[in-house]
Amino acid sequence: MTRLETRSITKIYPGTVALQQVSASFESGKVHALLGKNGSGKSTLLKIFSGAVQPTSGEVVLDGTPLKFTDPSQAFAKGIATVYQELSLVPGMSVAENILLGRTPMRGPLVNWKQTYAKAKELMQELRVDIPADEMVYNLSVGQAQMIEIVKAMSFRPKVLQLDEPTSALAKNEVEALFAMIRELKKQDVIIIYVSHRLHELWEIADSCTVLREGQLIGTAPMAKLSRRELISMMFGDVEIRTRPSDLRRSERIVLEVKGLTRKNKWKDISFQLHEGEILGIAGMLGSGRTELLKSIFGAERFDSGEIMYQGECIPAPTPEKMKKRGFALTPEDRKQEGLIQIHSIRENLCLANFDQIRKGLFLDRQKELQLVDRQLTDLQIKVTDIEHPISSLSGGNQQKVVVGNWLNSNPRVIFFDEPTRGIDVNAKQQIFQIIWDQSRKGVSSIIVSSELEELLEVCHRILILRDGQIVGEYEPEELRMEDVYALSMGGEEREIDPDRG
Amino acid sequence: MKSTPIEVNHTTKQGQAALWSKIVNKYVLEIILLVIILSMTFASPGFLTTDNLLNILRNMALQGCIAFGMTMVIIAGEIDLSIGSTVALTGVIVGLVSGWLSEAGWMGIDQAALVGIVVAFFAAGLLGLFNGWILTKYKLPSFIITLAMLNVIYGLAAVVSKGFPVTTLPSWYSVIGSGKIWSIPIPAIILLLVFAVVFVIMNHTKFGREVYAVGGNPESARLSGIHVTRVKIICMVAVQLCAALSGILVSSQVMSGSFNFGKGWEMLVIAAVIIGGTSLMGGIGKVWGTFIGLIFLGVLINAMVLLNINEYVQYIVRGLLILIAVLITAIQFQKKRAR
Repeated sequence: MTRLETRSITKIYPGTVALQQVSASFESGKVHALLGKNGSGKSTLLKIFSGAVQPTSGEVVLDGTPLKFTDPSQAFAKGIATVYQELSLVPGMSVAENILLGRTPMRGPLVNWKQTYAKAKELMQELRVDIPADEMVYNLSVGQAQMIEIVKAMSFRPKVLQLDEPTSALAKNEVEALFAMIRELKKQDVIIIYVSHRLHELWEIADSCTVLREGQLIGTAPMAKLSRRELISMMFGDVEIRTRPSDLRRSERIVLEVKGLTRKNKWKDISFQLHEGEILGIAGMLGSGRTELLKSIFGAERFDSGEIMYQGECIPAPTPEKMKKRGFALTPEDRKQEGLIQIHSIRENLCLANFDQIRKGLFLDRQKELQLVDRQLTDLQIKVTDIEHPISSLSGGNQQKVVVGNWLNSNPRVIFFDEPTRGIDVNAKQQIFQIIWDQSRKGVSSIIVSSELEELLEVCHRILILRDGQIVGEYEPEELRMEDVYALSMGGEEREIDPDRG
Repeated sequence: MKSTPIEVNHTTKQGQAALWSKIVNKYVLEIILLVIILSMTFASPGFLTTDNLLNILRNMALQGCIAFGMTMVIIAGEIDLSIGSTVALTGVIVGLVSGWLSEAGWMGIDQAALVGIVVAFFAAGLLGLFNGWILTKYKLPSFIITLAMLNVIYGLAAVVSKGFPVTTLPSWYSVIGSGKIWSIPIPAIILLLVFAVVFVIMNHTKFGREVYAVGGNPESARLSGIHVTRVKIICMVAVQLCAALSGILVSSQVMSGSFNFGKGWEMLVIAAVIIGGTSLMGGIGKVWGTFIGLIFLGVLINAMVLLNINEYVQYIVRGLLILIAVLITAIQFQKKRAR
């Protein structure tokens, strides 16, 4: 049996302490879940193990020998292999070539194909993976590619195997296949460190969990003795939830009604109503279909059946163009790739959705354009030195405000905010909330999707829970605690076992 | 906006240097062009004469019309390599249609050529629609589609003309390519008109801004309610219409349509656009830049002819200068990024 330990590891980045005196231990033959929300320090710990980052103080000990790495290849040589979210396979090569990349058996100057395939087959059989060795990698599903990646890592006979979000991109049946493989892995004498946002899977695959919060080790516990509620409170602690300002009212008037919206393999029979001035939150885990739901209503993605009614009128076959004309707006989740044009200026990005507003007959009116730009810069307090500078020169928070401002310029009646606070600092977050509240005061309705479920409690009038493609509940924030929102979003049975927080 | 300290200190030496480097950076192509023009004026007395300058404009008009359409296409993030063949096909079409209609006795050859012009534009428009449709419907790279169409259209022009020049054209037709108004060659006037129209479209209309947005990031554009498919198709049609215009100019100048016209023009046209600072990645570019790019190439070719430079050496010089111009834009872009 091998054992990997950290002895009071501390990692200080300029301005933040990523890890503080963390001492944990992991043993072979088990799957250790490493948990914590964004910014908890778990990625830093992962990187310290993989040699990408060096601790400020403290040490990593493998089987009693202290390890010091200056780069990832050293960690790899000492038997610590890491499989990252971004797959590193070469698409244009076969499975066998990928597994044996750089060490294919040779016969003189030529590749010995017979041996290459035989060797790859043998390595796959060890983990009961059944994929043809001569298949091209671009023909594989994401799940299969993930498995090949693990076979490749295991072919180096590591002592530690780190899996970073292995299931995040997988479909349900693929997750099953991957878990079957990980159970095979457990039979080998290897320490498996498993990082995942999909908490509900942990009871199925992990033996123990190690929880970090704000850089500190909160505890280690066997999964079997841990309830969902306990795990969530370990991860999130007692978060103070502020509530929205009391003057926010929603009217009885229904603006948007969605009836029985269905998209195969995403969601089924989604129905809800949105009132004028209302801020509606949709709580769901990553992959619950929340982003696709917003995009489908906005007409940017398809749906199979169902109706979208706006002001009592059915909108057939919506497109973003049509929905914009009706007064809809959508600030996308991925602001860099979908919300902004990085190579264009701040001015251009602030008017991207408003060419009709700045048009005077056939031509555009520069004066009007500058007015719109100025209005948003002032209203949203966007700090810029020159509106002709590229948008990429702004901070994440200011970029997000430009995305929002671009849409506010179109005078929308309904705004969809997809992850409006992703990757921006606390201050900017509060400013985004203020913007949403201000819009509500003007009678504009909003739908918000966020991974930080506690934010929904803070911002919204009402919260819908989206799980496994269905709306499973509707709550007012006052009725809920944060643990409830997470538990409801993750689903599954509650385990009534005494807490044992090692 | 508040002015930066650099701009305030124009009087100091440092400030002045900074200001100069800013100006040089912004107008580097114009400055190089000016230098070439000045040195040519001294090197060859025939260079800086009204006749020669108009001559340059006229020579550039043929490819120049297409360059403006190509600017739209490239800013939209696409490309059209098939335009050279369209030049040939449309010239052939005008000749064939006027020949057929007049020989059938339906109308005089004078009117028949007019119909031919309309048919030529129509055919080019259809080709553009086809390119745009395949491109947006099947998400294929326009590079591949139009590379294939370059061959298809070339073959088509050769087949319908049976491989012979088509000369059934009325005498008035030569006015388009060789006529003058107030001693300005008509092709030069057409070139300036196309420049003006495309300049206004790209700088002062909603559609122009949509083209920039689509080329800059199609997904952001789509989610901002811009009809990406429509924008791309219109650009693909526009460049083909420009090619048709050019095809008519060429066939008018030589009073015949041949499948061999326009061969290899796509490279010169794209070179002018790229020299003008338009990014092949889409989303960045200026119509004015393309105009300068055209003049640049035109002056260069003209200068080398006046200086009696060996034809094959001309190729080397032209190629190298294109490379240098593109390098300058690339370096400037990298500097901007690094800021």
